[in-house]
Amino acid sequence: MKKYWIVIIITVGFYINGYAQTYVTKNGMIRIYSEAPLEKIEAVNRQVNTALLVPTGDFVFKVLIKSFNFEKALMQEHFNENYLESDKYPEATFLGKITNIKDINFTKEGTYPATVEGKLTIHGQTHPVKQNGILEIKNGAVTAKAKFNILLSDYHISVTNTLVNNISKSIEVTVEVMMTELNK
Amino acid sequence: MKSWIKIILGLAILGIAAAFLIYHFVINKPHPDFEKIKPYYSLNAKAFYNEFKTSKENAHKLYNGKVIEITGKLARIESADTLTIAVFVFNQGMFGDEGIRCTMLKKFSAEAKKLKPDGIIRIKGYCTGFNETDVIMEHCSLIY
Repeated sequence: MKKYWIVIIITVGFYINGYAQTYVTKNGMIRIYSEAPLEKIEAVNRQVNTALLVPTGDFVFKVLIKSFNFEKALMQEHFNENYLESDKYPEATFLGKITNIKDINFTKEGTYPATVEGKLTIHGQTHPVKQNGILEIKNGAVTAKAKFNILLSDYHISVTNTLVNNISKSIEVTVEVMMTELNK
Repeated sequence: MKSWIKIILGLAILGIAAAFLIYHFVINKPHPDFEKIKPYYSLNAKAFYNEFKTSKENAHKLYNGKVIEITGKLARIESADTLTIAVFVFNQGMFGDEGIRCTMLKKFSAEAKKLKPDGIIRIKGYCTGFNETDVIMEHCSLIY
């Protein structure tokens, strides 16, 4: 009985003392890149709202489509009005988990491989994703980095035949979000 | 010069001029000058935030993609990489502060960094929406 109470006290103690941690950022970065025969297109969003919960590994982010900035104004206009229809679908969301969270030591600086699995919703369409990336632990911050491709067709984003040589059907997505511990 | 050559030359010049104008004003048109654009709405900052908190869909339809002017009490100025962000805080949520985040135009970055917390400021920017915790405004400028 005494041993049982010791275990309870220690477990509660961990939570009170912050064993469960939340890492957040409101200015994560996502870059999208398309390379087609006639044109290279790139856009960056630096308003990515992200949270990582330890030790569950829950990883979420929300991106406002109108916060993607392109070099060319006309491309930004087409991206919002014709492809992503951002008036109708103003945001993209990822809800998932870092499945190997137990392999990551948040108290020791270093670079750790990470596998993320979850659901990505873009243009009103949800698609399962599983990707590899890394978590960098340095100076108390956790930076998640990943690079992967998505197919426009998976999210019902259609490119007209006239622009097939300007926009790739597969878009490269680069994620880099530097998170700090909440309330620290 | 024979008249048909003059016609072809004239059409060629018109064609080149048209191509140039299309390239310059359509294909290569510049981004809007957000500092100069007149705001669609001028609002109290807290009221603006509350509209999104109460009904995100209605507020999106009304304010997304538009230049909005807000007046309110500044919580702080943040720096994120090369960005300078004016932050208004109206709520505490599961993931920290919630309110309005205004990313400044580079031109206003130095000026914004001199602003004191708790001061009342007027700011204008392009509303990109609400991301469950904050209303986001970009390309922001200070108004005096």
